[in-house]
Amino acid sequence: MNKSFLSLILAVAGWAVFHYGLLPIFTPKVAGWIFNPYVYFLIFCAYLIIVNVGMRLNPPMALKAFYVWMLGYYFYDAILTPHIPWTLFITYMMLWSIGTFLYISQDPTTFREFRAPIVKTIVGEYKLARIVVFTLLPVLVGFATWNTLYPSFAEPVELRTVHPAPPSTTKVHGKTYKLEEIGNPFRTDEQDNYKDSFPFLDKTEYMKNVTEGGTVFFENCHYCHGDQLNGLGMFSHAFNPTPANFIDPGTIAMLQESFLFWRVSKGGPGLPNESTPWSSAMPPWEEHLTTDEIWKVILFEYWYTGWHPRTFDTEGSTAE
Amino acid sequence: MLGKTRRLNILPIALFFAFAVYMMPGLAGDAFAKEAFAEQAFAEQAFAKEVMAADDDAEGEGEPEIEWSQDVFYKDFEGNPLKGPVSGAPAPELGENDYNNYEFAPSRIILWMANQQHLYFGSFVLAVPIFCMLIEFVGIRSRESDPVMAKKYDMLAHDLMKVSLTAYSWTAILGGILLFTFITLFPGFFKYMATIFRPVMHVYALMFLAESGVLYVYYYGWDKMNDGGFLKWVHCSISVLLNLIGTVLMYLANSWATFMQAPGGIDEQGRFLGNIWHVIHSTLWNPVGVHRILGNIVFGGGIVGAYAAYHYLTARDEETKAHYDWVCYVAMFICIFGLIPLPFAGYWLMKEVYAFRQQMGITLMGGIMAWLFIIQAVMIGLLFFAANSYLHNSMSRVQGSQRYMKYCKYMVLLLIVCFTMWMTPHTIVMTPAELKEMGGAQHPIIGHFGVMSAKNTAVNLMIVTTILCFLLYQRANKKITVPWATAGNCWITAIFVGAALNIIFLGVYGYFLPANQRVGLSVPQVTTTLTTLFAGTAINISMFKDSESMGDIKWGTQSKVGTYAIFLLAISFTWLMGLMGYIRSAVRLFWHVTEVLRDNSPDAYTLTIGEAGKMLTFNTLFVWVQFVVVFWVASLSAKPAAAKAPDAVPVPAQQQ
Repeated sequence: MNKSFLSLILAVAGWAVFHYGLLPIFTPKVAGWIFNPYVYFLIFCAYLIIVNVGMRLNPPMALKAFYVWMLGYYFYDAILTPHIPWTLFITYMMLWSIGTFLYISQDPTTFREFRAPIVKTIVGEYKLARIVVFTLLPVLVGFATWNTLYPSFAEPVELRTVHPAPPSTTKVHGKTYKLEEIGNPFRTDEQDNYKDSFPFLDKTEYMKNVTEGGTVFFENCHYCHGDQLNGLGMFSHAFNPTPANFIDPGTIAMLQESFLFWRVSKGGPGLPNESTPWSSAMPPWEEHLTTDEIWKVILFEYWYTGWHPRTFDTEGSTAE
Repeated sequence: MLGKTRRLNILPIALFFAFAVYMMPGLAGDAFAKEAFAEQAFAEQAFAKEVMAADDDAEGEGEPEIEWSQDVFYKDFEGNPLKGPVSGAPAPELGENDYNNYEFAPSRIILWMANQQHLYFGSFVLAVPIFCMLIEFVGIRSRESDPVMAKKYDMLAHDLMKVSLTAYSWTAILGGILLFTFITLFPGFFKYMATIFRPVMHVYALMFLAESGVLYVYYYGWDKMNDGGFLKWVHCSISVLLNLIGTVLMYLANSWATFMQAPGGIDEQGRFLGNIWHVIHSTLWNPVGVHRILGNIVFGGGIVGAYAAYHYLTARDEETKAHYDWVCYVAMFICIFGLIPLPFAGYWLMKEVYAFRQQMGITLMGGIMAWLFIIQAVMIGLLFFAANSYLHNSMSRVQGSQRYMKYCKYMVLLLIVCFTMWMTPHTIVMTPAELKEMGGAQHPIIGHFGVMSAKNTAVNLMIVTTILCFLLYQRANKKITVPWATAGNCWITAIFVGAALNIIFLGVYGYFLPANQRVGLSVPQVTTTLTTLFAGTAINISMFKDSESMGDIKWGTQSKVGTYAIFLLAISFTWLMGLMGYIRSAVRLFWHVTEVLRDNSPDAYTLTIGEAGKMLTFNTLFVWVQFVVVFWVASLSAKPAAAKAPDAVPVPAQQQ
């Protein structure tokens, strides 16, 4: 039997066995260190390499490129869980395709090898292949055209801006605050160093404020932002986008406390003009909470998540 | 063989020193400036106190003659705003009469085009003298050991200068168009800027005169001073002077843009506070300067490379093919040399932007400009792909490279994995159904790639991979014979493995640190990468001593894929330059000068991503059409006899 054909048969048959036989075993409800889809994927890759190297099948470059490309597709489509959004999938596959091209074009020999079956198909050396390809090509184009023109009713994607830019000043309860300059008045130490420097900084007062902030949070905020502050509160699924996930390293961990103060105080209606339309359902909390309560809630959010508010080195702005 | 080894060292060393010289103002500038500022700030404060005291004494005797006001940016030792004497009028509130327009296009679009075209050409004409300086120096240094190659280097530098001369006039014309566009379409804004920068603009014009003079002496004196001795050294020194003047010119022009973005030296009303150095040396001045120098080098290298690649593909005889293949190599070498540190300069600039105004940083990274940054990530990835593809394909024409070619696919895999991490957005475009399937706005696995810890790690690993690829390329045709070859290889391996582990460790560690400390981790990551670059290259080159050649590089046999990679790199970089310039400028949103002079024109809106993309593409195509014309004009003069490719030693100095 032709070695290339054998290699292809073993790859396809191997994939079927792996996918339908092994994958369910490696996808338990709670993934472990061994039984998870990523280990499964590595085993499948190892299988492909061992079969081709061990049996000295030495598939041609075009087939190798096909394997590489399909492995990427398989990983992003079936292994990476939960399934990634379509836009990201397309982006990743574009990158993987570029990588596959770099692989086949790494030197003129491999590129020539890759091109050889394509050229042979086009010039007619592989007659059957040419008939199949040139028959399927119009069908494929026709299907793609039909698929594009067929009306679909998918929800539109949103090109959403996560962090709106704050103004330089904000007025809350009749007092104007310069966001560049203010900090949380209830924060004992900027980086919570009291934890390591006992008994020099007492954390009793700090914890009292954190607790008060927590009380405010569970009275007002947790319905949307969740009791674990992960943006999955009981009402969260009614919103699009879902409420902010404070556990994520890209939300409050990236921001100064003054930003949160402005955002909480002004809510959705106070968002700036640029990047409109906004989709924030958050009310302007200045109408329901006192200034101190807002600061305490912010204190609690950082304490609970373990993040520290962002600070900036002000060295660059001094003229010393 | 010994002679060959010596020649090999010249280009990297020359590049290293040139790089060091150009980085000096940026790296040391802050330290020097701060010392100078310290004295100045003391003097100003003391003077202020004297004046205040005098005012107090004179209370009741009339209004004080000097009004003092607080700087919007500079602070004294205690963190209070620095005070300065009011020396100018407040920023005007611009109205309808301060803006003019044509029917056929919005003023802002016209200005954008004029500005971008001028910047592209300015970038090219500043970059080419840097190349010429280096290439001429290498030619002089290799004169005794390899006169044929020395002549080739000299002719290459001369040819590039010829193109640059035409481009120089073109740049000046585009500069004139830009100036008239400012004056005619944005008179109110330009009047304010001219009031603040009046002396700088005159110095700029005079420097331009000096640049022209030195340029003409440098170019037209080429043959006359080519005596092979003292005069040739003088000629090479003129190129240093030319580059110094060019750099000063660029820094002066940069000060206008950096002032608009992050002003200093004025008060809240926009009144000049009497210290022109404060206005020039605003917080973004140094990072923008360094970033632009590196960007110019990459841009210039890309254009020269594309020029050579075109000639290589259309060459009809082997000799011409060999020559342009070699020119491609020299251009790409310089280009990649600039590309490697470029992201670090970008990070420095963004850090300073963030530190200046949080909202500006947020608008850039997480707000309305964030999607443009995703596009930027794609373009940067393309640059690295193009550079690596060129190196891989180039390696295949070097005899003995088969030993290393087998590693190329693993390097490609690493590049792709890192690039995937590098361009994974924090906020994903998705339908509500997809959002619900994911269980939240962030993916539990790839959601971790959306923050800077992952991205710094990815980009550093990509750079380290490119460095490794280059080191392998350097040693492709050499049989290492030094007695410490094993130890050297172990050291190189240890450096690369250690660097990769350190970069990954720091990246992961960053997730457990507060944001401000996490940002600081990029410094050791960058240091690791640069250490790998310098230490790896140094050990690699040292190992070439008395090495045996496994065969010459077959110049003129570069694959077409590798050659097209140069076009990809050049075009991508042109587009990328336009994109980043647009982002940097557009982040001011509705301000001409941030928080001081508001843009009240009908064009004070942010373009949609699609519209901005169209403009960038148009600017890229337009400038490339002009480059083709400039190259054609330069080729109209009598063509010199092509340097005959040496028969015996067809390998350029740095490749032996």
